[in-house]
Amino acid sequence: MTAPVVEAKASERAATTPPAPARRRGFAVHFAHYKWLYLLLLPGVLYFAIFRYGPMYGVSIAFKDYVPFLGVNGSPWVGVQHFQDFFANPDFPRLLGNTLILAFLNLGIAFPLTIVLALLLNEVRLSVLKRTVQTLVYIPHFLSWTIVASLSFLLFALDIGPLFQFVNGLFGTNVDILSDPNWFRPLIVLQEIWKNTGWGTIIFLAALATVDQDQYEAAIIDGAGRFRRVWHITLPGIRSTIIVMLILAIGQMLNTGFEQIYLMTNALNRSVADVFDTYVYFVGITQGAYSYSTAVGLFKSLVGIVLIFGTNWLSKRFNQSGLF
Amino acid sequence: MIRRKPTLAAAVVVSAALALTACGGEAPASDLSSVKIMAPFLEAQPPTADGAVQKKLEELTGKDVNITWTPNASYEDKMNITLASSEIPHVLVVQGKTPGFVKNAEAGAFWDLTDKLKDYPNLKTTFPEVQQNASVNGKVYGVYRGRNPIRAAVMFRQDWLDKLGLKAPETTEDLYKVAKAFTEQDPDGNGQNDTYGITIPKWGALGTNSPYDMIETWYGAGNRWTERDGKLVPSFETEEFLEANRFIKKMVDEKLINPDFATFDGTKWNEPFFNGKGGMIVDVDSRVSVLINLFKQANPNDFENKVGFVGSLKGPDGELHAHPTDGYSGFLAVPKSSVKTEADLKNVLTFLDKLNSKEVAVLMNNGIEGVNFTVEEGLAATIKPETPEGKVVNTDIKSFAQLGTNVTGNNFYPVKQASEYEQKVFDDRVAVMAEDLKSAVYNPAAAFVSPTYVAKGAQLDNIVADARIKYLAGQTDEQGLKDAIKLWNTSGGDKVKEEINKLWQENKK
Repeated sequence: MTAPVVEAKASERAATTPPAPARRRGFAVHFAHYKWLYLLLLPGVLYFAIFRYGPMYGVSIAFKDYVPFLGVNGSPWVGVQHFQDFFANPDFPRLLGNTLILAFLNLGIAFPLTIVLALLLNEVRLSVLKRTVQTLVYIPHFLSWTIVASLSFLLFALDIGPLFQFVNGLFGTNVDILSDPNWFRPLIVLQEIWKNTGWGTIIFLAALATVDQDQYEAAIIDGAGRFRRVWHITLPGIRSTIIVMLILAIGQMLNTGFEQIYLMTNALNRSVADVFDTYVYFVGITQGAYSYSTAVGLFKSLVGIVLIFGTNWLSKRFNQSGLF
Repeated sequence: MIRRKPTLAAAVVVSAALALTACGGEAPASDLSSVKIMAPFLEAQPPTADGAVQKKLEELTGKDVNITWTPNASYEDKMNITLASSEIPHVLVVQGKTPGFVKNAEAGAFWDLTDKLKDYPNLKTTFPEVQQNASVNGKVYGVYRGRNPIRAAVMFRQDWLDKLGLKAPETTEDLYKVAKAFTEQDPDGNGQNDTYGITIPKWGALGTNSPYDMIETWYGAGNRWTERDGKLVPSFETEEFLEANRFIKKMVDEKLINPDFATFDGTKWNEPFFNGKGGMIVDVDSRVSVLINLFKQANPNDFENKVGFVGSLKGPDGELHAHPTDGYSGFLAVPKSSVKTEADLKNVLTFLDKLNSKEVAVLMNNGIEGVNFTVEEGLAATIKPETPEGKVVNTDIKSFAQLGTNVTGNNFYPVKQASEYEQKVFDDRVAVMAEDLKSAVYNPAAAFVSPTYVAKGAQLDNIVADARIKYLAGQTDEQGLKDAIKLWNTSGGDKVKEEINKLWQENKK
């Protein structure tokens, strides 16, 4: 009985009080009004706070000389010492180069191939064939890198692997593909394409399904061939999807895939195989240099953030559509 | 005032009691009636907590033993995480002087046991040089887990050797001759040129008792470190190191070694030997019995005289430089955060002393007499057929052996081999290794931990290790190998040498 009266009084007062406190009371009212929405938001906020932002506390060891026994708080503070060591390290240019080259190869070859495959699948009119092919190209995604690497070892085995013979026959050479530094990058990109291209088409296929079918009919009447239709209708239709996927891909670019590279590395190809991810593992886990490797990982993340913002900014400039 | 005193005393007692109950959540830590241990296991499954071996162990030691078995592959990671947590065991198996361990130890994470172990009859080692090897610059942080110091061996297909009318190799030159004959003279008699001499797997890291390391030591390059002109230098800076690698490269170039040695999967090492492709393996001698077992499984009626072996080989100088290991595989350390007082430490050490007594050593290595083995002429004979209980014990002891320290020598029974032939091979192995022990070339720097090496030793060593493989594979020439050694020095190796030599000089006194 009394509650509505109190509430009415409160709103009355809110209307008459001066601006500054009103804003505070305004928030209370706002909050009361949307409390269920805020409740819905809570799990998401908690998730990010506990599992994403909380662990960032551990990033502080990049600025300390971390010893597990002393704990994060007890370890001595060394500032940017580890970053200086890393940039001065002769490994640094090599790691940066290897990481960037692999990243750009993956982005420049594997990413467009996904779109091409999606377009090809989209043009298939026989739905049985389309679905069969789709299923077949998805399967490799579910195989672990260990299996992919083992398959590669079998296929490219020195002297006896079927692909070893095929590739060397093709080029008229006789090199051990698994240990030759020149073959390392092609091999990695090839594995990446084999494993993930099919899976990557899913989002593009979904986007392709939303392209207005009337436009195709109109284009056919105007006499446009298949390639014209793809170029002038399909690709512009999924342009925004491509850009979003590109920004996301660039954000992930420096994550060159630890498992894959680690498994394919050996003493003979290490000069081209070492990337940030494997270096962090090697130095951090196997040598116990936790602080140093955290600094390296942090540096990698910073570069990733810069890349995301950069791409987003560029795409906004040219298309007025970005990710955020 | 007179009235206040008892209140104060009572308060102290109450708070102390509270503190005690608070810290001993599951078991009172103060009297250590329960000992928590963290140890690695290498089997598919860890032993169960209520297994017969565990129960017997608790009975013999009079303690409630609580073991956290951790998979061997991720042990180092888990150990570091455990040290950073609040659930720290009383006894921790440390697998080696890894940078992670050394940092923790130098920060004061473990008890210094240097002057304490001698008070315990079963912990007072009879191999002080091994204890020294296991120490960190002379400080003993744990009871080392003893291993046979001599394990290097050359294994070869005895049937091939006999067929070609060759003698077992005695020198590195013989190794080359046998490898060449195995490659070129069709030892399997199938009329095809499909065999090679030696199989080497992907195993490049320096100082890990790899086939390369062994051959270098045989050539006289020392063992990791060696004394030259009154100073310690890394083995790879010696002329003998280059000679040894020229020798290996000659075998690679003449295709006497498998061409994929840089990538060949180590878990398949036995296959070429067994399948009759690669005739020799240079590795630890325990592989002899593994190989014999392979032939035995394939054909129980005809497996004798397939596998022959010799120990370390004489180098080009005609001398035997046998390649030993450091004689230990990690140690049992006592963390200070769980064992807080000297009294507690005594308790733990008394427990470890019991753990190394004859009866517990027999339990952890042989099993339970009458259940899974019987003693025959001083040997432990496995009871066959295996009873269900015996099977559990046989599986469990493989993991419990990880807790064995054997610092006073092996107190348990040697295992009786399954057949007369295998027993003979086993006895031969023991004899050969004992003979090689006399010429063992130890690593003079085994005990020393240089701060620079801790910080970036693995990266440094990788420079030389990769160059070695590249040189052998023909990706770089000898100058490239020498350049890599120079790079090792300029990237921090100079400092490592300085620190090691300083420690060495200090310890000589």
